[in-house]
Amino acid sequence: MKEKFDVIIVGLGASGGIIAEQLTAAGVRVLGLEKGADYTQDDFAVKQDELRYYQRGAIVSGGTVDPVTWRADNKSVARLFPWSAGVLGSDEPLYGMPAIGVGGGTLHWAGAAYRFREADFRMRSAIAERFGESSLPEGSTVADWPISYADLEPYYEKAEWEQGYSGSAGNIKGQFAPGTNPFDPPRNRDFPMPPVQQCPGDVPWVAATERLGMHPFRQPLAMNSVEYKGRPACVNCGFCHGYPCHVAARSSTHVTSVPAAKLTGNLDLRPHSRVIQVNRTPDGKRVIGVTYVDSADETHEVEAPIVILSAYALENARLMLVSGITGRGQVGANFMTHNFGWFASILPEATNPFLGTFNASSAIDDFTSEMVPDNDLGVLWGSPVISVTGDLQPIEAFHLMNPGVQKYGLEFKHWMRDNYTHMHRMYSQTTNFPYPRHYVDLDPSIKDRLGVPAIRITHEWEDHDANSVELFGGIKRRIAQEMGAKETWMDSSRPPYHLSTHDVGVHRMGYDPETSVTDPFGAVHDIDGLYAVGGGSFVSYGGYNPTETIQALAYLSAEHLLERWGCAVGLGTRTPENERHVL
Amino acid sequence: MSSDFPTEPLLFFNSAEARTVDALAAQIIPSEADSPGAHEAGVVFYIDRALAGFMRDLRPLYRRGLQTLSDLSNKSFGAEFSALSDEQQRQLVETLDARAKADPDDFAGQFFRIIGEHTVQGFFGDPAYGGNRDVVGWKLVGFPGAQWGYTAEQMQPGVDARRIPISTVADLYARIRKVSS
Repeated sequence: MKEKFDVIIVGLGASGGIIAEQLTAAGVRVLGLEKGADYTQDDFAVKQDELRYYQRGAIVSGGTVDPVTWRADNKSVARLFPWSAGVLGSDEPLYGMPAIGVGGGTLHWAGAAYRFREADFRMRSAIAERFGESSLPEGSTVADWPISYADLEPYYEKAEWEQGYSGSAGNIKGQFAPGTNPFDPPRNRDFPMPPVQQCPGDVPWVAATERLGMHPFRQPLAMNSVEYKGRPACVNCGFCHGYPCHVAARSSTHVTSVPAAKLTGNLDLRPHSRVIQVNRTPDGKRVIGVTYVDSADETHEVEAPIVILSAYALENARLMLVSGITGRGQVGANFMTHNFGWFASILPEATNPFLGTFNASSAIDDFTSEMVPDNDLGVLWGSPVISVTGDLQPIEAFHLMNPGVQKYGLEFKHWMRDNYTHMHRMYSQTTNFPYPRHYVDLDPSIKDRLGVPAIRITHEWEDHDANSVELFGGIKRRIAQEMGAKETWMDSSRPPYHLSTHDVGVHRMGYDPETSVTDPFGAVHDIDGLYAVGGGSFVSYGGYNPTETIQALAYLSAEHLLERWGCAVGLGTRTPENERHVL
Repeated sequence: MSSDFPTEPLLFFNSAEARTVDALAAQIIPSEADSPGAHEAGVVFYIDRALAGFMRDLRPLYRRGLQTLSDLSNKSFGAEFSALSDEQQRQLVETLDARAKADPDDFAGQFFRIIGEHTVQGFFGDPAYGGNRDVVGWKLVGFPGAQWGYTAEQMQPGVDARRIPISTVADLYARIRKVSS
């Protein structure tokens, strides 16, 4: 007899962990299937090891576990990841897929916790209003979202307070405090914690942007700056982006939601359990469960009237496609990713870039989204410019070093000796419009160990992407000059990665099954009981990091699911008793 | 032969290969008076151990790469790379770098880039991996290494990073043992 559950959740990461917590607290019996490990804090007791985590990617799945292929266009044969590393196989692991394991990408994210702006939810309309209907990128499927910022605002707040985000809000119900972000969208409430300790290299950046008339603000981070919900403050160890947290100061569903879900007794969590198919009734109109393979390679069929796909966006698409769920050709369509435009400087003063977290620094929103400066390059959408001054270890510094400097001999040795402690970086995340020619599907020849086809990305940087990097490169150069930078250099505007843990849009939300895959709650059109949640739902992609919006959408989906089940949920679903255990 | 036989066990290379890798790594991060380089850091032992374990898939590439380098060295100067003068070694390294830049698919150039990457890993990685001995890589650049955390005072502008005592993964293990006993 097949095991039966109320709900099956596939992937216990940024959103799956939250949905598991919300449902189990209301008494729903949940089976959580996670293809990676359920790590303990003991696994991460000493993680200050650049080779193990950053260079060898100990907690990311890597190409051997979850193969990914990429090609520039549909006439080319796709190459197996890591295509940007060549035979070295030692590419930066975060130009790949995020971690598998309970917590998923939140195990190692840098924690940049941005809300999207109001205009980000109506990108198509906002571009038409600013530049005219005729300026919309030709052939792009860019659209407005079916929900607005105001719809999502309470769920953003919930993510910030439940998951533990720190920062200094700029706009609380229209009130602005000095030194905060004057372009912040309106919030109901401030963050539960102040910003984390600022890195020293951020100080000259803040001074320079202020002199240039810009408005720097401390970045919101999913990182404890003080003890919060029993987890300690960040200790500024400087091994953060790409690393697990040894003190559990970073917000990860691995230490927030999943432990709470376990305490309810309603979560049957099975790590090392890889779902290989979504099962439906013979007419395909109702989900009945999933098939998964356990760590002993045994195959199991389990049943539930509701199945929630909350794996990485590309993995959600892959699972639907291998299960014959194509969504009228919409599953896998509208792939979008970020182009970071890395810009590095050598500052006159020491930045000590090994200190603190990746984003223990500031950003400006002066040119973000609809506030993109007038320009001759045809750039239609802006991005924050973000200062990065921490979390830089020497091998990564070597990878980022000035391409004009020789990589061997005394010139190389002396460059590292003289410049490592003075490095400063900036990035932007320029928008990547969706086009029919940017999509994911199943690779026709490459399969994983179990015979499941690899996901294949078809994507190339458009002129708009490259022009955006150039436009924002100019802004970064102005800031660097104002800081008195001794050397500067910038990444290619058409970088080799195409995959960066920021990949979204492959199961777009909307009301029309001809142009979208799910409704705003994640319910897949035409298949009763099947949900797909996460960044795959995004309709457009502005310049902010995706995770806070993914988490807000997870709270929205959970609330909808509970309403459907006749339950109610609100803030404070944890009891004082289970709170103690969580910690 | 006996006097330059390796000072400690090799897990993958033979002694001649180890001498070549040691010499090539020393051209990538040279030693200076009062400033150790890849040789003093034990980079060759890092690469040897990595090829015996995590990087075992790269063994054929290393075999072929070392043979290519040997051929090149013998053809140009009539001796193995490790037996060449510093000046001759530098000339060959310049050739390899030029080939890597001119043609990304040139094998000798590619092999040079790979050894460069692994030299940097062995020089700046934690000493637990067999390289970065006496934390010479971290001392060179002012990286305090594997620290439990940093204080708010250490995060102020103007702090001289080289005054922070360097810590390794092994030191953090010792710290945890001490705290828990």
